[in-house]
Amino acid sequence: MHIHTRLSLHFLADIQRLFFGLRKTSGCAFLLCLLALVVGCTSTTEPDTLGERDWTEIEKAGQGTTVQFMMWQGSPIINAYINNYVVPRVKELYDIDLKISGGQGPEIVQLVMGEKQAGITQGQVDMVWINGETFFQLRKINGLYGPFVEKLPHAAYVDFEDTYISTDFQQPVNYMEAPWGISQFALVYDSAQVPAPPKKLDELEHFIKAYPGTFTISNDFTGMTLLKCFLAELGGAPTSLDGPFDEEKYARLSARLWAYINRNKKYFWKEGETFPTEHSKMDQLFASGELLLSYGFSEGGIEEKVHQGLFPETTRGYAWENGTVRNANYLGITANAPNKAGAMLVINFLMSPEAQLEKADVNRMNANTVLSMEKLPAEWQQKFAAAPGRKYGPEVSALAPYAIQEPAPEYMIRIYEDFRTEVIEN
Amino acid sequence: MRTKSPHIGILFFLAIGVLPFAAAFVYALLYSFGAVGVLNTSYTTAFWAAVFRSGEFFKSLGYSAAIAAVSVAVSVGLALWLVLSYRRDFEKKALSFVLYLPLAIPGVVAAFFTFQLLAQSGFFARITYALGGIDKARQFPDLVNDPWAVGILLTFISLVTPFFVLLFMNVYKNERLGELKTLAVSLGATPRQVRWRVSIPILLTKTRTLIVLYFIFILGAYEVPLILGQQSPQMLSVLIIREMRQFDLAKIPEGYAVAVLYTFIVSGAAVLLFYRKKKTADAF
Repeated sequence: MHIHTRLSLHFLADIQRLFFGLRKTSGCAFLLCLLALVVGCTSTTEPDTLGERDWTEIEKAGQGTTVQFMMWQGSPIINAYINNYVVPRVKELYDIDLKISGGQGPEIVQLVMGEKQAGITQGQVDMVWINGETFFQLRKINGLYGPFVEKLPHAAYVDFEDTYISTDFQQPVNYMEAPWGISQFALVYDSAQVPAPPKKLDELEHFIKAYPGTFTISNDFTGMTLLKCFLAELGGAPTSLDGPFDEEKYARLSARLWAYINRNKKYFWKEGETFPTEHSKMDQLFASGELLLSYGFSEGGIEEKVHQGLFPETTRGYAWENGTVRNANYLGITANAPNKAGAMLVINFLMSPEAQLEKADVNRMNANTVLSMEKLPAEWQQKFAAAPGRKYGPEVSALAPYAIQEPAPEYMIRIYEDFRTEVIEN
Repeated sequence: MRTKSPHIGILFFLAIGVLPFAAAFVYALLYSFGAVGVLNTSYTTAFWAAVFRSGEFFKSLGYSAAIAAVSVAVSVGLALWLVLSYRRDFEKKALSFVLYLPLAIPGVVAAFFTFQLLAQSGFFARITYALGGIDKARQFPDLVNDPWAVGILLTFISLVTPFFVLLFMNVYKNERLGELKTLAVSLGATPRQVRWRVSIPILLTKTRTLIVLYFIFILGAYEVPLILGQQSPQMLSVLIIREMRQFDLAKIPEGYAVAVLYTFIVSGAAVLLFYRKKKTADAF
């Protein structure tokens, strides 16, 4: 006890000397120290030997480990799929403890960025659920490990010739992220209340004038995706936004888009004075009848919400005439993941026919598989074919003729920014 | 040993309270000038220039200050009126429970309550609809996410008023306001004079610091304006978080610049406040 007190006193005296000494020399020295502390940490990456090892070695290295998976946890059915099916199965198959933490898009990027800035080589997270924007940003800061997807045995069942899988927001995936699901953006309406929903911008204009206050644009990823579909229509073709970001094209088309919205926003929800912060709020507004038109990924997410009793059974979904965005979502491994081998085992399992079929169950997660039916063994082809279809929402195959590719990420970034300056603050 | 202990206390305060904050502040400052950060390459004032050019910060500051001022003014006014008129009732058990209850409700829960009650598809709108007052949800007045921040103001007022009621009741007791009032009356003051010349000035001067601190607290509020506010203008904390978490990574330093600016203004105000407090040697 006595020694402890003495020790801590010495320690404190040291700090005191250090602190006051510094203050005497100058405040600048303190700042310089901090600066040195902040910028002095340069990241060192561990030598990567996984790339050279074959699958059996990776399997051996990954077994009996703990894998940290950061994913969006906003949907109870997705959480149920992960917690009640994936977690016990990977424990059974590989003795892996799969730990889930919540986080998506910007949160993942911020985490990886923060760790990079602090020079942390053993990050908090091993694998992440990402697409488009986040993929683009993580690549920009070299936050992803890879290419690793070709090493996964189940990647053999994926058709990498399919541009909707091999290209993520106009960027070649290059095996840096593994496809996990694919879906299309769809518009959602209640067929009992709206007999003929709008499929084009001029039809939408008539619709909101006939039903004022029943349409809005959520100021988030989902709403911005709708704006991308609008922008493609103004471009005159489903392919009008394909290719790298084109400043001149964007300026020309977006000016027309903002003019269209500003001209009509007085017929929007709350007279266009404000917009919902996020899409989940739009679902509530649609359920309560305040909105007559909604939209979303996963072909509108209708099945789940009808099952939950949130949406009426007469809810239907459809694609815009010029097309709606179809994109895949992926699993990536962070560059500073402490357990890359374990993450590869889990990702390989998530891409297995077994896990993908379970994920496609219409009464549960109801997510379209990324596996190509032609590449699957006959036994699995039959199982997929025998699975029951949707009762309310459209099948992804029905919307396929109206699919458009995700435009380059810069379109999203610019639309986000300009929607605020040109519409919200206008 | 004993003589050293106050020194150690200050040192601990510096090490635990001041140092991390100062480090974070310096980090934010460096970030806003592009000196640190994965995507920043060199020192630049471009982010600060962008913040000043867009003017959004000052709009937000004005908006937040207006909301904080109205909330505090209404709450203080309401609390003064309640304490001076119904002080005896509040000393009863049932009423004091009602008074304590809002203090236990977190801001985010209060904001949800307000939303559920006042939204156009909320509780009051449904009652009005059932009674035939309106026949469409849209006809119900816009009270949340509205241009006049009605929802935000109501939530803050309902959260803050009980605090001031309790505070004023304590000051009333500690300052022996009851006796002072009797004295004033015996010297010939009218009830009106007692209220405006004795009670209110004493209650307000004794609590001035806390009133200003509450103003600063509301200025930086996050959850309530996040749930009940508009997309533009936004209250300061909502704006800062939005800037820092945006998709365009290249613009994150602007978020830090806004945070630094906000810290400067608030700490400047706080220093001024406490400097004045020292001079007047406030007893509370």
